[in-house]
Amino acid sequence: MSLVKLFACTALALAAGGAVASGLGSATVLSLLTQATVYAIFALGVGLLLRQNAMVSFGHAAFFGAAGYVVGILLQLQAVPAEAAILIAVGGVTLFAFLLGLVVVRVPGIAFGMLTLAVGQMFFLTASRSRGLTGGADGMNVDWPSTLFGIELSALLRPGPLFVLCWSVLVLTLLALALLLRTRFGAITEAIRDNEERARFIGIETLLPRAAVFALSACVASIGGVLSTLNTGFVSPETLHWSVSGVALMMVVVGGTRALWGPALGAIVYFLVKDLLGDHANHWMAIFGAGLIVVIVFAPEGLSGALQRLAAAWRRAGAAGHPLPLTERLP
Amino acid sequence: MFIHLFNGLVYGALLIVMCAGLALIYGLRRVVNFAHGALYMLGAYLGYTIASQTSFWVALVAVPAVMAVLGALLDRFGLRLLQDRDPLAVVLVTFGLLLIVEDFVQTAWGKGNLSVPVPALLNTSVDLFATAVPAYRIAVIAVGAAVAIGLSLWLRHSKLGLFVRASSTDPTTTAMQGVNTDALSAGVVGLGTALAGLAGVVAAPFLALSPSMSSDVLIDSFVVVVIGGLGSLAGAFAAAVVLGLIQALGAVYLPDAAALLPFALMVAVLLWKPAGLAGSRT
Amino acid sequence: MTDYVLQARDVAIHYGGVKAVDGVDMTLERGQIRGLIGPNGAGKSTVIDAITGRRPLTRGQVLLRGEDVSALGATERRRRGLSRSFQRTSIFAQMPVRKQVELAAYKMNVADPRADADDVLRELALDGLSEATAADLGYGQQRRLDLALALVGAPTVLLLDEPMAGLSVKESLDLARHLKLLAQRRDVSVLLVEHDMDVVFGISDRITVFELGRVIAQGEPAAVRADPRVREAYLGSAA
Repeated sequence: MSLVKLFACTALALAAGGAVASGLGSATVLSLLTQATVYAIFALGVGLLLRQNAMVSFGHAAFFGAAGYVVGILLQLQAVPAEAAILIAVGGVTLFAFLLGLVVVRVPGIAFGMLTLAVGQMFFLTASRSRGLTGGADGMNVDWPSTLFGIELSALLRPGPLFVLCWSVLVLTLLALALLLRTRFGAITEAIRDNEERARFIGIETLLPRAAVFALSACVASIGGVLSTLNTGFVSPETLHWSVSGVALMMVVVGGTRALWGPALGAIVYFLVKDLLGDHANHWMAIFGAGLIVVIVFAPEGLSGALQRLAAAWRRAGAAGHPLPLTERLP
Repeated sequence: MFIHLFNGLVYGALLIVMCAGLALIYGLRRVVNFAHGALYMLGAYLGYTIASQTSFWVALVAVPAVMAVLGALLDRFGLRLLQDRDPLAVVLVTFGLLLIVEDFVQTAWGKGNLSVPVPALLNTSVDLFATAVPAYRIAVIAVGAAVAIGLSLWLRHSKLGLFVRASSTDPTTTAMQGVNTDALSAGVVGLGTALAGLAGVVAAPFLALSPSMSSDVLIDSFVVVVIGGLGSLAGAFAAAVVLGLIQALGAVYLPDAAALLPFALMVAVLLWKPAGLAGSRT
Repeated sequence: MTDYVLQARDVAIHYGGVKAVDGVDMTLERGQIRGLIGPNGAGKSTVIDAITGRRPLTRGQVLLRGEDVSALGATERRRRGLSRSFQRTSIFAQMPVRKQVELAAYKMNVADPRADADDVLRELALDGLSEATAADLGYGQQRRLDLALALVGAPTVLLLDEPMAGLSVKESLDLARHLKLLAQRRDVSVLLVEHDMDVVFGISDRITVFELGRVIAQGEPAAVRADPRVREAYLGSAA
């Protein structure tokens, strides 16, 4: 996608967010969309690791939740202004993830998944048991001040503006990632992912780039974590549990990783379909689990992959000027 | 002190039965079976129903049998069809299966805690080291030991055991030697899930049945299997006992450290020797 | 003493009870093409692996322009100019051709990586395919891409592991002739492992013959061809 197209899509997406917020009257729907967007950012982080490093993490919820806890603790201690707390949370988690990454990215295959699961669980257990610091198993409130970056929080936290905020963060994060991956750093990580051995034999040192991608994925997850505390005003150990990471992975797989925005789509589908199911939502996890299996077996490129193929077929039909041959009509 | 050690052994025995199944399935199919905990839970709940209709002893035989069939079907129509796919994709499939089974159990049996009474025959206590110990728990330890010893002997000395070991190391060559590796896989996965079911039935009388039981045991099983090293069942058995003891003693003396220690060990093992889990098979 | 651009001194590689390479001494002079021949399993590819850092040395040293690089990893050796291609094509399947060759060029200390990459692509007749994804190329084109990744960045020494593998007779001879020209034009010294005898004897300045992990003959092509031990072990009396 050309640079011009990229910026155009970004502008369009931002505008769409604004339109949705002002067009939709229902606070419940906006609230649902906000929650979906927050998890979309989290899933984006998890998906980034899978897409650029071909690594599956069962512990990324630790970064999501830890960022929330850092903000919560800092605000409780009133040690720094809220704006600084956000930067410290995201920056701190990212730095920690980079250092951790230097060690853990060397571990191959499913062992890496198990390792991240163990590390994530250690975070979960620590948060659950540190009553004094984190409120223990009950979680803790996150006391945001009355203004943030000069904006009145009471105005910002209304359904419409909050959705616009979260959606804009999602879109801008996607833009930032897309721009980053066009640089040589992006090319290096792609090379390492395609063929790590050959990457080394053309002079690419593979540890730092992979640790950097790990840190970047944690950074994105932590941004989601901070937004989550803004959305709910609360953080609890449940957000650190490995099953949350597992659900995020499901969103990533269902959405697909071929497109950078695939995982975000997966998250949004997750929340929208869950809401649509209404009464049947009790069985939502089983339905989503079944959906996951179906996607893995029959459509491994996920929803975004299917959409991209449809779009490509459409474009070809348009260029040729006549109807698609039968084989191309099938996605 | 003794009672804590004893309880540790009991949980360790349970983990032995669980992890044997997990390790067998991994060895043959290179799949970390996330659904294993849910199958354990299914076994426990099935056992509850069967035991309340007939008796505990019928459940003890029937549940593993049913689970074995389920396992064979899982292998035939799931794992076998996915065997050429990226192992991480298969792991996620088992994760999806976990969610489905968990939901099924919750729907069929409800979310409340259920309990299974200890079978009359074992509902006494025995004096051991000047402590009154429930006979049932001694029986659980016996089951764990029996599984450990039986499985080890079977793998080492029987012809089928040899095939299983060969197929775990190099399925292609084993198949070329004329061993029906597909039937073998179905059998071994069936055995693995039967063991999970057995663990569930055996655990029911002394652990409450609840919707969260699958998750707790699953993680502990992963820890055991990683620390023990997937290459050796003996390692897993030893690690199971150690973990059981740590959990039991830790819960009393050092709760916070004891909870974190298994994971710290798991991290250490994975950093030091990931190859055991990443698979030596090319 | 001649300044060797590459030297292997008493190189040995043992693993799991197998002595794949057992005490090999080999040299490469600047501008030379040395062919490595020998039966399958003789240890030729293993020697390449050891020299480039793909396999650890059990014993011995590898010297690049007189400097001991035995303790360095593959990445570092490549950056110093010790480059290799692969017997089993090893490229970046999802990346466009030019992008990956340029990436390889950037990692080396050349004045103009882009120009160098374009140059190499042209030399290997890949310039028409620059925007194609590597996975879409034909086998022969992919082999040339593998070669391009090794050739870019002005390496000092190029180790080629069966570059003709899977190519037709005509393709092999074309590539062989091309290699010789390229080596001269770009001032690269070449170590070539190859089974095709016509190719090897056609372009090599020197030949080393391997058998069972050891060198059994070294020297100029004509001398090696006439050597009775070589005939017996490898060439057969028809040679």
